[in-house]
Amino acid sequence: MDTIQKYKEVFINHLQVTEDQLSTLTYQSVSTWDSVGHMGLMANLEDAFDIMLDTDDIIDFSSYVKGKEILAKYDVKL
Amino acid sequence: MSSCRLLENKVALITGVNRGIGQTIMELFAQNGANIWACYRTLDIDFEAKLKSLATNNKVSIKSLHFDLANEQQIKDSLRPLLKNRDRIDILVNNAGVAHGSFFQMTSIQQIRDIFNINFFSQLLITQLVTKLMKKQQSGSVINLASIAGIDPEEGFIAYGSSKAALIYATKTLAMELGPDNIRVNAIAPGLTDTSMARQMEVKAKERMINQSSMKRLATPDEIAKVTLFLASDNAQFINGQVIRVDGGM
Repeated sequence: MDTIQKYKEVFINHLQVTEDQLSTLTYQSVSTWDSVGHMGLMANLEDAFDIMLDTDDIIDFSSYVKGKEILAKYDVKL
Repeated sequence: MSSCRLLENKVALITGVNRGIGQTIMELFAQNGANIWACYRTLDIDFEAKLKSLATNNKVSIKSLHFDLANEQQIKDSLRPLLKNRDRIDILVNNAGVAHGSFFQMTSIQQIRDIFNINFFSQLLITQLVTKLMKKQQSGSVINLASIAGIDPEEGFIAYGSSKAALIYATKTLAMELGPDNIRVNAIAPGLTDTSMARQMEVKAKERMINQSSMKRLATPDEIAKVTLFLASDNAQFINGQVIRVDGGM
C-alpha cells in the first residue's frame, strides 16, 4: 500500500468517513472526530507510520490537509 | 544486595537524583534492580563517579540526563532522544522541585509563577513526554512527589503549597486519563523531611511543623523512598490516583 493510501485509510477506518469527505475534513466537522477521536486518530497515525508526534503537532493537527504538512516533518512523504 | 529485588529489569526515570529524597530513591531503586535514567541539572564529574559505582555494585545500568526544570527546551531536548529510540520507561518519579516560603504580601506573582514552573509545569511536561512511551508499552507507573503542604494549608506556603496542590489534582486527573492504558499515576505527600530543604527553613516554622506530627520528628528520606518503591513496584499494581501521606500522623 502506498503512503497516501495508508494515510487515507487511517482516517477512513478510525473516523468512519468516506474517501470523498477527506479533502475537506476538519477537526470536529464530524461526530467521530471529537477530542477522544482525535487522540485515537493520532495514536493510529503514530502506529501506521512508526512515528511519535510532538504535543504541539497533536494540537496543530486540525484537518486532513494540515495533517499532511505535519507528517512531512516526520519524513512521511504523502 | 537484596534477595528479592522488586524492580528487577524495570527502567525508571527519576528527576532530582543528586541530593535528598531523589538520591535516596535512586539508591533504593538500584538496590532493587532498576535500570535508571538519573536526571539532575548540571553535569558533576564526582557525582557521575558515584552513579557508576552504584550501578556496578547493584549490577544495573544508570545513565544520566542533565536539564534545568525551569527550561522547557532543555527538558524536551534531553528526553526527545528517548522517545525517538522508543526507549522503555516503566517508572517515572517526578521528584525534583524547589521549596519556597514567604507570606502572600511578600511574594511577587513572578515568584509564584517561577515556583509553579518548576514544581508543576515541568512535571507535567516530563509526564507528557514519558507517558507517550508508556502508552506504547501499555504499562507504567508515575509517582509525583507532592507534599502535605499541598493538602493542609499553612501560612507562608502560598506558592509552594499551591504548586503541590496543583500537582495532586493533576495526579488524580491523569490517573483517570491514563488508567485505560494501564498507566498508574500516584502521589506521595511527605511531611517535613530531613533534607537540605528542611535545613534551610526558619527554625520556628520547622519546629511548628515537627510539633504537628504525632511522631514529633522529621521524616527521613529513606522513609519516603520506601513508599516510592512500593508504588513503583507490581505490589501496587491496582493502586491508582492516590495520594499517600508520609508524615508520621497529623
